[in-house]
Amino acid sequence: MDVYNSTMIREALKTTLPIFFGYLPLGMAFGLLFQELGYPWYFATLMAVCIYAGAAQFMAVGLLAASAGFVEIAIATFFLNSRHIFYGLALLDSFGRWSFRKLYLIFGLTDEVYSLMTTIEVPEEFEKSKFYFWMALFSQSYWVLGCTLGAWAGTHLVFNTQGMEFAATALFTVLLIEQWSNVKKPLPFVVALAASGIALIVFVGHMLIIAITLSLIMMLMLRFFNQKVRDEY
Amino acid sequence: MSIEYLLMAIVIMSLATFATRLPPFLLFSGREQHPLLQFLSKYTPPMVMSILVIYMLKSVDYLSVEGFYATIALTTTVGVHLWQRNALMSIVAGTSVFMACIQW
Repeated sequence: MDVYNSTMIREALKTTLPIFFGYLPLGMAFGLLFQELGYPWYFATLMAVCIYAGAAQFMAVGLLAASAGFVEIAIATFFLNSRHIFYGLALLDSFGRWSFRKLYLIFGLTDEVYSLMTTIEVPEEFEKSKFYFWMALFSQSYWVLGCTLGAWAGTHLVFNTQGMEFAATALFTVLLIEQWSNVKKPLPFVVALAASGIALIVFVGHMLIIAITLSLIMMLMLRFFNQKVRDEY
Repeated sequence: MSIEYLLMAIVIMSLATFATRLPPFLLFSGREQHPLLQFLSKYTPPMVMSILVIYMLKSVDYLSVEGFYATIALTTTVGVHLWQRNALMSIVAGTSVFMACIQW
């Protein structure tokens, strides 16, 4: 199956549209913030193309404004994105053999793209890694568009995007419902809820990475020590 | 602030971000069939999705007007999704409701 199959490209575009509504306003918010640093707008585009991480780019504006050192920038970026370490686990055999395409798919594994890829069913007639490639490419192009628009024309925009950031919450909520109907077993959801509770109470500052790590540890422990979990899951 | 500084910072952030996404593919390449990895592959997404939703909702102040709007918008999203099972429609409906409330 050809990578440039037009039916596949159209289907991938349709699948990623929910991400469009999340990335456009978020990217624009970043562009607007970036503009205040005084650099030309196309550096916001460059950041969206090369870095492609929402929270890290927002943090970068602060670090750049403070003229942070390169070591500090590297460490801060790595830790802010550290939850992504676990994302590959669910997609190990979905990106095909080592190639430029696989490297790009790994590069493009953001929260939104990961959530969509692990929830949807790729139509049988398409090769998974090729379909995913187009999903990743479209998703990043929405991010690049948003960041560029925000930095380039942010202050002159006539359309009021206030409140549009809710799209990200709506996307994760919809995908959570889909996960529920895919998995049909309560344990992972209960474990995640417990882990989030602990992370929120004990480690308020780094909820995401701690809750994800904790939930994985709890899930593995349950599997090792509980016969019922081992049989049913 | 010089352009050189900015460019160097961008290169460093790109590598640091990529470094967080790459490890599983290097560590477990060719071992996808291992039962433990299969187990993790199956149950990490529902856990991550639950945690992301909780993370997004935790910063809302539910005693404020915005918290009230967020509750309505979330109910709309879930309701439309259970009714039509169309992700795009549910997201557009929920987001429109939230935007309408907050801008009005």
